[in-house]
Amino acid sequence: MNRTSKRMLRLKEELPFHLLLLPGVVFIAIYHYGPLAGLAMAFQKFQPIAGFFHSKWVGMKNFEYIFNLPDFSQVFWNTLEIAVLKIVFGLAVPLLLALLLNEATKSWFVRSVQTSVFLPFFLSWTILGGVLFELFSFKGPINALFAWLGVDPVLFMGDAGWFRAILVGSDVWKGMGYNMIIFLASIAGINQNLYEAAQVDGAGRWKQAIHVTLPGMAPMIILISTLSIGGILNAGFEQVLVLYNPTVYSSADVIDTFVYRLGLFDQQYSPAAAIGLFKSVISLFLVSLSYYLAYRFSKYRIF
Amino acid sequence: MPFRRMAFSRQLFIVINSIVLASLFVLGLLPFIHLLSVSLSSNIAALSNQVKLWPVGFTFEAYRFLGQKPEFLDSLVVSLQRVVLGTAINMALVVMAAYPLSKEVERFRLRTLYVWFFAVTMFLGGGLIPTYIVVKETGIMDSIWALILPGALSVWHMVMLLNFFRSVPKDLEEAAIVDGAGQLKILARIYLPISLPAIATILLFTLVGHWNSWFDGILYMNSPSHYPLQSYLYTLVTKINIEAISTEDLGALNRLSEKTLRSAQIFLGALPIMVVYPFLQRYFIKGITVGSVKE
Amino acid sequence: MKIKSGSGLFSVLMVAALMLAACSNSNGSSSPSASGPATSASAPASESASPSAEEQPKDPLGKYPEPVTVSMVLGARTPESKDVPSGLTPDQNGYLKKLKEMTNIEVKYAWTVPYEQFNQKFKLSIASGDLPDVMWVDQVTFEQFKEQGILGDLTEAYRDYASPTIKKWMEFDGGATLNMMKSEDGKLLGLPSYSDANQSLQTVWIRADWLKNVGLEVPQTFEDLERVADAFAHNDPDQDGQQDTYGLALMKSLNFWGFDARGFFNTLGAYPYNFIPGADGKLVAGETLPETKDALSKLADWYKRGLLDKEWAFKDENKVVEDMIAGKVGMSFGEWWYPNWPLNLVKDNDPKAEWINVPLPSYNGNPGKSLVPRARLGKIVVVNKNFAHPEAAIKMANFYPEMTKKEYNDVATPANGYVYEWYEPRVSNPTEMETNYIQVNEALKTNNDGYEFENGSGALLYETAKKYANGDQASWGLTFSRASEDGGWGITRQVRDSGQIVRSGFAGPPTPTQVEKGASLLKLTDETFTKIIMGSASVDEFDKYVEDWKKLGGNDITAEVNDWYAKNPMN
Repeated sequence: MNRTSKRMLRLKEELPFHLLLLPGVVFIAIYHYGPLAGLAMAFQKFQPIAGFFHSKWVGMKNFEYIFNLPDFSQVFWNTLEIAVLKIVFGLAVPLLLALLLNEATKSWFVRSVQTSVFLPFFLSWTILGGVLFELFSFKGPINALFAWLGVDPVLFMGDAGWFRAILVGSDVWKGMGYNMIIFLASIAGINQNLYEAAQVDGAGRWKQAIHVTLPGMAPMIILISTLSIGGILNAGFEQVLVLYNPTVYSSADVIDTFVYRLGLFDQQYSPAAAIGLFKSVISLFLVSLSYYLAYRFSKYRIF
Repeated sequence: MPFRRMAFSRQLFIVINSIVLASLFVLGLLPFIHLLSVSLSSNIAALSNQVKLWPVGFTFEAYRFLGQKPEFLDSLVVSLQRVVLGTAINMALVVMAAYPLSKEVERFRLRTLYVWFFAVTMFLGGGLIPTYIVVKETGIMDSIWALILPGALSVWHMVMLLNFFRSVPKDLEEAAIVDGAGQLKILARIYLPISLPAIATILLFTLVGHWNSWFDGILYMNSPSHYPLQSYLYTLVTKINIEAISTEDLGALNRLSEKTLRSAQIFLGALPIMVVYPFLQRYFIKGITVGSVKE
Repeated sequence: MKIKSGSGLFSVLMVAALMLAACSNSNGSSSPSASGPATSASAPASESASPSAEEQPKDPLGKYPEPVTVSMVLGARTPESKDVPSGLTPDQNGYLKKLKEMTNIEVKYAWTVPYEQFNQKFKLSIASGDLPDVMWVDQVTFEQFKEQGILGDLTEAYRDYASPTIKKWMEFDGGATLNMMKSEDGKLLGLPSYSDANQSLQTVWIRADWLKNVGLEVPQTFEDLERVADAFAHNDPDQDGQQDTYGLALMKSLNFWGFDARGFFNTLGAYPYNFIPGADGKLVAGETLPETKDALSKLADWYKRGLLDKEWAFKDENKVVEDMIAGKVGMSFGEWWYPNWPLNLVKDNDPKAEWINVPLPSYNGNPGKSLVPRARLGKIVVVNKNFAHPEAAIKMANFYPEMTKKEYNDVATPANGYVYEWYEPRVSNPTEMETNYIQVNEALKTNNDGYEFENGSGALLYETAKKYANGDQASWGLTFSRASEDGGWGITRQVRDSGQIVRSGFAGPPTPTQVEKGASLLKLTDETFTKIIMGSASVDEFDKYVEDWKKLGGNDITAEVNDWYAKNPMN
């Protein structure tokens, strides 16, 4: 077989793949790549009236402006710390939950728990903020519990440490149903033959979980972790905005709330766009790095 | 194995596990019971923060208020259109894109290029203004397509699905190829059935996404009469502001309190999911053995 | 409730007003009958569909021979009235139909969006290249449009077409606000809507039933006030045998539109978050002055003694209002409108609740002087410079007050599909509050049901006040905020007349440094002040704060503000 016909054959084989991808490529190109031209804004002094074509170009000025603002380093590190905690617990808790649910046997029980755990996902932070405030208020149930245990009441919302714990805890609780479902689906996709084989080898439930379930879930766990790393500079805008107050600014003010406040006196489009771009670049870098490392060391393509 | 015949450690685990899961069940349900109670309470009870887990001054007023508006039904229709059309398109595109990308590089040389073409958009966006301009320039402003096409392909769902597709045993596919099956047939006959839990998951997320999003409706629709339900409900829940109190509103602010109405709104938002989810759950049931597909 | 706008309701005596205005503007240019100064410069009119426009008298509500289409965009509030026919959309608004009928102006909304989303959608649609003909914008947007040179000149349109009513309103503050709308070369670029700045005046709202319960008099001095707060916090003012109350309502933003600390600061002669004239005649930032430090140390002391809510720094306005309604707090600094919301709700929940309104108490022998902003600017009517009929915008502004005349009272009702929330521009009457107060009280004293009120809202207020006098508790909020002599506006005007106020000096748009660094400075201020009050920072932190504030841009802002002030001195 000569080279050209081999290539033709290959093309013919791959043609359906290209065709299947075509619609997705078109929509992504139009609605995601199209707007990327707007990143120009980060290098302009953008005014809506002037638009992209008539706004003044200012080079890196927006970046200089942001990085030189007195509180930028504070919000940067706050964001990083909060986001890392959220990522770690936001993965670990749903994973554990999925494994625990997998061990429960009564179908009605599993269904009820699954549904109920997903419900908080629907609550907005505005609503949840009110609930959390009540829960952790000075005379609220948590402090009542503390009193019963002989612990002095705590001003949770005004304590830097507690406040972060509440941020992370409530975020994990609100989102755990979502990742849990993905993990459950991934468990459900594990070939049952593997469990049967393990049973033949005399593995108990615990061993099956370690040697069959977890490895079976590994691709999904790795995928979600990698993508979560992309969110390393997202500490949760709405949540922080609803919950925080001046007493915890030093530990809870994050990049997104910082950007929000930049527009307090007048909308500052370009600095906001510059921060967005800065965040994107860091995310992309970290995600590509993980992707590359996984491929380099275990020949595994994360996606 | 019956509970009594299990080892003690296993019994202990089951008991503790059940307790943990049961408390999580309660913890997830409580805020909703609270919301439902607030939405069924009198204005003044809600406003003075008296409502905990049971309605105070029981009334259907918030729901009656929503129900008597003709816009309510209109926007419900828009929402249903959006959910049906949007979910169908999303699912089709996700499956179509995930399938080829689940192939190894050896089978599809450009896959990695394609994957990154998509993946980049998960982390890099142009922002609100450019997106708005593109939506406008593509001529779909003020139509239901503006709510569907910009997010026609969810890259995150696609990446998730391609990972599920990868775990489909290769021998099945090879057997099918030997039998002369084309790609579409392989996708429909082998990949989809095996990945049913994943499909169900993504379907659920897509439904939830379409049903609950309100911001794009407000952004891309030129008139509230074209809003989907959640956007419309949003218009009803207005925040008290100084301008309204001190200049315009001569009358007491005797419209429904933000609190009862918003609670009703959130409850309605989650309701269809509560109905759909248990139904979808039968596809999560483990035990879809590869063997069963072979027949 | 069939209640219409308070902003521009203008009901009777239009004829008299017309005549009066015509007399006062003796130059005649404003008189509708004076078609005189139609110079050739009125180019837009000559470009219009009607070549005969020039010969026509310049009638404030004159009908165009051919329909003139005006594109607009609308941030629509949910109508207040429950009588609005269900399913009515903004473009079916009765006001628009009437406007077409009267003037042949046809308003087309390019889009409508909920009020809260207006700014965002507006900026988006502008960035995408859509600029409506007539717009109703805030001050910041106005300044940007002005800078970008996209605004049409309204000088002649205003001179020739503005109704006597509108002109009278613009003259209320001596034309000061109108002058802020002019370009460097003196062109009028916008028609502002503004209200009486005294509406921002701070007073104290106190539960009189609680005062009685704890056996204290109405506070005259700051020390009295402190005693009241202490008793409200510790002496069981609601007599339920529980320690469940605190002294003074306070929300987490010290400078907000209600339930904030402005009144407290003002009582002690402190004016943070504002620029006030200093001893040398220049404006100085209130944040940096020793009075602010003193006030902060007082607040810290109150907090320590439990007179403030332990968690005030975490509560937004809704949470504070919850506390008020639930009867946990019985005192708040604030403006005249409190009875209308939320004090009415307090009474709904507890019929025993009695509220009184008193001026700021004195401190060290000096009467408490409330801050009154230099201007209370609302929205501004502007036109796109490519719009051929700038006078149409003025006519539309004329139209709304016209519709509040008595003869339209039975026509322009929500039940007939007239929704004022969906009509723009609504230029408000800056004297409405005061005129209504005076006229309603006159009518009440003489029990004169036939009284000819200047504003439609006045007649309504009179009816409400009478209902309240006959025992209708639901009418209390409206009556006690706007009509009662010892109520909201009654006390406010009393303070105004006594002259115990301090005017802020800066009313310009945000200065460049303010835009760039204002947010950081605000954060520094809020953080420092809150910490001092909560006791997690000592009061002496204040001195370091002032240094930082100045260094981080405060000095530049002060300089910019003073530049503006030099150009716009207070009269």
